[in-house]
Amino acid sequence: MEPIISVKSLTKNYRLGKVDVPALRGVDLVVQEGEFVAVVGPSGCGKSTLLHILGGLTGPSDGQVCIDGNDFRLMTDADRTRFRRHKIGFVFQRFNLLPTLSARDNIAIAQHIQGNGFNPHRFEAITRMLGIEKKLHHRPFALSGGEQQRVAIARAVICEPKILLADEPTGNLDTENSQVVLDMLRELNRTFRQTVLMITHNPEAAGIANRVIHMRDGRIISD
Amino acid sequence: MVNKLILSNVLHRPIRTAVSVLAVAIEVAMVILVVGLCHGLVSDSARRVEGVGADILVRPPGASFMLGLGEAPMPVAIGQRLAELPRVLAVAPAIIHVNSQESLDLIYGIDLPSFNAVSGGFVYHAGGPFQEPYDMLVDDIYANGHRVKVGTTINVLNHDFRVCGIVEHGKGARRFIQLATLQDLTGSHDKATTFFVKCTDPAYTDEVANKIKAWLEGYNILPIKEYMSLMTSNNIPGLNYFITVMIALAVGIGFLVIFLSMYTTITERTREIGILKSLGASKTYIISVILREATFLTAIGVIAGFMGAVILRKVMGGIFPTLPVEMTWDWRLYAACLALMGSILGSFYPALRAAQLDPVDALAYE
Ligand SMILES: Nc1ncnc2c1ncn2[C@@H]1O[C@H](COP(=O)(O)OP(=O)(O)OP(=O)(O)O)[C@@H](O)[C@H]1O
Ligand SMILES: [Mg+2]
Repeated sequence: MEPIISVKSLTKNYRLGKVDVPALRGVDLVVQEGEFVAVVGPSGCGKSTLLHILGGLTGPSDGQVCIDGNDFRLMTDADRTRFRRHKIGFVFQRFNLLPTLSARDNIAIAQHIQGNGFNPHRFEAITRMLGIEKKLHHRPFALSGGEQQRVAIARAVICEPKILLADEPTGNLDTENSQVVLDMLRELNRTFRQTVLMITHNPEAAGIANRVIHMRDGRIISD
Repeated sequence: MVNKLILSNVLHRPIRTAVSVLAVAIEVAMVILVVGLCHGLVSDSARRVEGVGADILVRPPGASFMLGLGEAPMPVAIGQRLAELPRVLAVAPAIIHVNSQESLDLIYGIDLPSFNAVSGGFVYHAGGPFQEPYDMLVDDIYANGHRVKVGTTINVLNHDFRVCGIVEHGKGARRFIQLATLQDLTGSHDKATTFFVKCTDPAYTDEVANKIKAWLEGYNILPIKEYMSLMTSNNIPGLNYFITVMIALAVGIGFLVIFLSMYTTITERTREIGILKSLGASKTYIISVILREATFLTAIGVIAGFMGAVILRKVMGGIFPTLPVEMTWDWRLYAACLALMGSILGSFYPALRAAQLDPVDALAYE
């Protein structure tokens, strides 16, 4: 079967003034649909950069990236935006909810941006599964960190993305809430065969994945 | 959904919203009032000249079509000759004096019998015709505005005049004194600056006008219809320019405030824009969110401006009853369109900047 993510000799350099800072120095990675992959490694090794490239938030410097049949070398900025809109869901360490909107609208706006309109069945299934159906009219400041992150997960998966990319989703949560969020991610992976790539510093968190990737200095050192 | 986002943003920053709306409201009210006042002054004075009832205005060579400006006096005798022309019913000589003492007001020096013959006579609200050389007639609007009664003394050209009567407005000036008195005071004996000519029937206007033109070559002979068509703010030197400058100023204020408001908003909301981008929002989507927010603020501002203009006109009308402000829907629409264009222009650059933000940087923004 065609892998959903296929990355070959991926490099990414950031330009700081006159020097190139290498963030990724040749990453090879293949992920099959339905996998739950944890990415671990020391700070600054390029984990977030890898996730941003896979999600099309930024372009690669060199190498091959092919996701669900989309070859990034052939895609413009606008193409990557469209790709992200239909195939990717992001979850961030800092929740990144829109502060002026209610939880419900934070989730609904993802559907609006995607353009397929509001789907009440999907909405209900997701919010019930994440246990936030009673908090939907609250705005983010009135929610606990764990609740905010669950709303963020709901927003990320509401449009049935091919891949869920989570950058330290438990980094701002206490152990109890972390556990809830991790359970949710695993549940999504099990019930919907949701492909998940999750960055984490927490070995316990990495433990729930069915595959752990170790990174160091812009490379994958073990898989 | 975008409407919800916009509404929540607008409500979330009430002061910014209030300031933006206020700026647009001031812009709109300023355009409506300035234009309304200029048009009102011009058409009001034109209508009053029409109200004299003459069919033809005869004025000296080189006179501007604005009455009272730079006119060399003509001998009153010309008026007597004009009255002898066939198809002429009556001729009223007048000196139109621009009284710069208080506001821009005209005083007509008239010979009451001939003026009555042309105009059909004044309707007196109080008092009666001139009795003494230093008597003055004022119209009801002037009387109300200046709290003038019969018997009140008004100083004009360094002379005290006694108000002898209050007349219905609409016949030329708001104040009238006797022609002979004004001739004395301005040192122009037996002279007049304007002849109001009334034909036996308005249908003869052109015929009579042509006859007068042939006789008084070089004189300024205007059928009243032509005069009315000339009396628009477009034809008044400097007025159009003034209106344009005021409109440009008003639109400039609106443009700058909306620009600043949207510019600070996108700086403040950098992370939110990054979030929208991470959800896959296209550049067009982001631009439309910003432009629609600006449009929304402008729309509220336009409505507030309409109401503000109405209220200000009421207030101004209370203080200066002689100031006619003409508010037409044409100009309201024009003011609204100008405000909208200014706002869209003002928010376009911020919108473009927002659309071009790098999503990773925007998400990392504190
Ligand atoms: N926008 C940028 N401009 C310049 N250098 C950058 C930029 N983003 C990341 N880097 C550099 O790239 C390298 C990898 O960064 P990245 O954020 O991917 O690391 P990370 O593994 O996610 O670290 P952490 O665990 O602390 O989040 C770092 O050396 C970082 O300094
Ligand atoms: Mg990181």
